[in-house]
Amino acid sequence: MKRFAGIVLCAVLLITLAAGAAAAGKVTLVLSGWQASPEEQQLVKDALEVFAKKYPDIEVKYEPIVEDYSTKIKTMLAARNAPDVFYVDIFWAEPLMKRGMLLALDPYMAKTGTKRSDFAETLLNGFTYNGKTYGIPKDFNTLGLFYNKKMFDEAKIPYPTPDWTWDTLRDVAKKLTKVVGDPAKDRYGICLPVDAARFRPFLVQSGAQFVDKTGTKCLFASPEGIRALDFYTSFKTKDKSAVIPSEVGAGWGGDAFGKERVAMVLEGGWLIPYLNNNFANVEYGVCELPKGPAGRGNVYFTVSYSVAASCKHPEEAWLLVEHLTGYENQKKVLETGFALPTRVALGDHPFFKDNPNMAAIFKGYAYAVPWQFGEHSEKIMNVLNQAIEKVYLKNESPEKAMKDAVKEIDGILSE
Amino acid sequence: MRASPGGRPGTMWSRMAAGLRKESVSEAITGYLFVSPFLVTIGTFIFFAAVYAFYLSFHKYDLFSPPKFVGLANYRKLLTNTDFRIALRNVAVYTAGVVPTQTAVAIALAVLANQKLKLRGFFRSAYYVPCITSSVASSLIFMWLYYKQGIINYILSLLRLPSNIDWLGNPSTALPAIMTLVTWTTSAYFMVVFLAALQDIPTSVYEASKIDGASGWQTFWHVTLPLLRPSIFLVVVLGTIGCMQVFDQVYIMTRGGPLKSTMSIVYLVYTEAFGDLKFGYGAAMAFALFAVIFVLTLIQRKYLDIKIEY
Repeated sequence: MKRFAGIVLCAVLLITLAAGAAAAGKVTLVLSGWQASPEEQQLVKDALEVFAKKYPDIEVKYEPIVEDYSTKIKTMLAARNAPDVFYVDIFWAEPLMKRGMLLALDPYMAKTGTKRSDFAETLLNGFTYNGKTYGIPKDFNTLGLFYNKKMFDEAKIPYPTPDWTWDTLRDVAKKLTKVVGDPAKDRYGICLPVDAARFRPFLVQSGAQFVDKTGTKCLFASPEGIRALDFYTSFKTKDKSAVIPSEVGAGWGGDAFGKERVAMVLEGGWLIPYLNNNFANVEYGVCELPKGPAGRGNVYFTVSYSVAASCKHPEEAWLLVEHLTGYENQKKVLETGFALPTRVALGDHPFFKDNPNMAAIFKGYAYAVPWQFGEHSEKIMNVLNQAIEKVYLKNESPEKAMKDAVKEIDGILSE
Repeated sequence: MRASPGGRPGTMWSRMAAGLRKESVSEAITGYLFVSPFLVTIGTFIFFAAVYAFYLSFHKYDLFSPPKFVGLANYRKLLTNTDFRIALRNVAVYTAGVVPTQTAVAIALAVLANQKLKLRGFFRSAYYVPCITSSVASSLIFMWLYYKQGIINYILSLLRLPSNIDWLGNPSTALPAIMTLVTWTTSAYFMVVFLAALQDIPTSVYEASKIDGASGWQTFWHVTLPLLRPSIFLVVVLGTIGCMQVFDQVYIMTRGGPLKSTMSIVYLVYTEAFGDLKFGYGAAMAFALFAVIFVLTLIQRKYLDIKIEY
């Protein structure tokens, strides 16, 4: 009986193997990204359905990674079993490109006729290393000034316009702050968290450069950089018109805005679906960030589809990347209002006319710097966060906090 | 020569030889097969991983390029790393606070749960719930409690006490806040250890103390507690090791902030290794921590570990 079972098992195995060999003409690719929202996931699945019809010989397995995406991808890459195609955030793209973990796409792009100039240059540069393209940006975001219309109406203040300056912002934030001593009713002008990503645009608006030409000397301790930190922190420390999210019982800025504890917040397009899903009755608008002493400034966030250097079917993987970042797919994503297109050809899509909020966020791109600090992005971000925190919690002067931070950043850059 | 059961245990080899001579070879193989899943897992994920980490601690390793030997450079760098010093100090405060408290609370809970009360089963399970709750879930719950508009501040406001505290956002309260959470979760775990120990204490000892006219308190202080000493040693050692390696709560609740006030060594290892791709340096930190824990355990052993015979 036992022997018989063994024979049956062997037979089954053999048949499966044979079947596998017969299907070998079909190439299987694994696609991974993080799970932002069910809606976003559906967009990817829809795109893959179209792809399956277009290329019936390529099977794509979509395997999203739930938590700690970058850590997981890095270890998978090191173990040489990374997905074939996956998201790469501009924030940690450089170390991967530098160490040859990603496939240079240029030869494949040439074969199918995709040009670098089809994409917004600045976005593409984030995934370019030594002149080679290691990823195609799938979409991007910048920061916009979200404002609560009801609170502005009540205070009889006109809605923000792109002409606002730093002074207007500070003035209005003060006027919108109503502290009555009851933590459930207190309302603040703006939410300015301990977050270098929110602070970064102010550095640009103040005219502070990140590094000098050698790339090893940080320039944030310049008078412009100190001015930016002084401005960012003065809302909270001097005017008491700003809070950090946890002070009003919120998990993040968008949450504080949705709960109507703050009148303004600096967030990206991701806040729009979040508000629609969780705080549908909040009436809001989005405006470009105000102008600083050195003009406009913003920061952009972008994510690419990249191919692992270890991928065994690079030709097919490229076809997938091309499809996902292609005109048709990006157009579809834009029309659902989830993300901004990276294709130059979509820049004047009629969608923007009907959606001034998304248009405001899109405009920020023209004067934005990438959200990354080269190879040591994470460490440098932490140091900048510390600088904000020191002013907020220890009443350190912005000048000292910034100078100390830059000393630390210089150490990191020269490692 | 035969190794008789219950007799003086021979060396492993002589016992194996004796086993071979008997017909119990297959029995031995069966035995090893039974333990093999455990041996293989522990060998791969603990023993091999630890040895490899030790090897890496002398190398520069970024996960993608082959490790490059750098000798003691990683350890030397540690000596001047201010973050490491801060983390070490935080962990010391944390351990000094959590270990005595959780041990005391665990003993108290165990004594309570050991009483012949109604609903004893319910209380035992209820006390144990915090420790089977995943640390992520309990951290999230406590984050809500600690919010500025959270329940803790609400209760404080009812008592007309200062209630405007951002527990996790204030550098002087964040670490104690995490310490409280951890005490709450781990006390339950150690309660079980003490409960088992309490049930091992023979009733005759209690009877004797009763005859001698000891009060309940005296019995606890002079009979129960001394007899719990081996368990106390175990709990203190395990508690210290656990505390020195605190990570989950820090990762979820504060990410080491505000102002590095909750930065723990393991969290620092994590940020260096996975955040900045310095795996060799991270490994060196881990081994520095190992050395600290090792020395602490030796000290505790010297002062606490005493054999007890009934």
